[in-house]
Amino acid sequence: MRVAVVGAGACGARAGRQLLSPEPPDDLVLVDPDRSRAEAVAASLGPPTRVAAEVPPLEAGDVLLVAAPGSHRSTAEQALDDGAHVVSLSDSVAEVQALLELDAPAVSRGVHVVAGAGFSPGLSCVLAALAGRGFERVQEVHVAKVGTGGPACARQHHRALGGRACDWRSGDWERRSSGSGRELCWFPDPVRAVDCYRAELPEALLLVPAFPGVDRVTARLAANRRDRLTARLPMLRRPHPEGELGAIRVEVRGVQGPALDDRVLGAVDRPAVAAGAVAALACRWAVEGRLSRPGASGLAALVEPGSFLATLAERGVKVAVFEGGQHGSTSVPGG
Amino acid sequence: MTHLLKTVRRALLSLTLAGIAAAALKLRGAGEVPPQGGGWRELSGQDFR
Repeated sequence: MRVAVVGAGACGARAGRQLLSPEPPDDLVLVDPDRSRAEAVAASLGPPTRVAAEVPPLEAGDVLLVAAPGSHRSTAEQALDDGAHVVSLSDSVAEVQALLELDAPAVSRGVHVVAGAGFSPGLSCVLAALAGRGFERVQEVHVAKVGTGGPACARQHHRALGGRACDWRSGDWERRSSGSGRELCWFPDPVRAVDCYRAELPEALLLVPAFPGVDRVTARLAANRRDRLTARLPMLRRPHPEGELGAIRVEVRGVQGPALDDRVLGAVDRPAVAAGAVAALACRWAVEGRLSRPGASGLAALVEPGSFLATLAERGVKVAVFEGGQHGSTSVPGG
Repeated sequence: MTHLLKTVRRALLSLTLAGIAAAALKLRGAGEVPPQGGGWRELSGQDFR
């Protein structure tokens, strides 16, 4: 396996480290505009990691992992022309939409374009797939997220709170103002209760195709008053090198037999660490032919969630289920 | 007396502006009731099958 990683920031460096185990690829190329940073990461990772000024020509069966801000689509198109798989960590609605539009060319070349293969989207999509397994029909999926990875992720978090939320409701897209729709979400310990708001997040773009007939898909982002007040202004201070502990919470409601039921799954981790593990595993599954279909999709439509999460658990990314409390079954009226 | 009235007016103006700002930020938005029971359990082995 030969992998080119674009971006040697918090997520790219973590993905590179995860790619080295259980067995390293034949070649691991780091590409970053900040060459000194890429060299420091390469030195930390050791062989077979090396640094290149630009993405090298790839071959069929290679993987391009994009973990940098900027246009993922143009980078992905070049890789597709080479017959390589693409794994993107973008959490931008525009970028994810642009990557999903590469479905036809990816199908024709028989390769995978995995869009949103990070913490959220990424792990959130796999949790949704696991929670939705067993329902005859999934009606609603609601995702909430706390925390950011590196500085690029923090900037995207800021932009998301200043943009337009992209939710799915009753068979149509609904664009609403970010920062509205406050909801108190309960994440696994030690994060616990955090106020979350609508934001320009790509979860719905990735989850709607994975759950045919779903009525509602929403995504919310944790924010405080300062975040919301300053969301439409330039960032007032430099983002931190890496965010602290983050969390995701995925609630799936569906029909099972005569009853409505809901399942709530969550995860707590440093977002960059979890994103790196998810992206590296997506690369490995793409090369091993374990993704369900060629083309451009999110992880919810591509992986068998149980196996994927079991492997992630071996790599230290733990997930949890909320049991008891108010998440019981409710009979369908007239059902 | 004039000073006192001016101070009261300024205080009222400040309170009004603060109230408008608070309303704009939806500081009193509707939150959910916290879970009254249950809890989180880490998934392992059998849960993934």
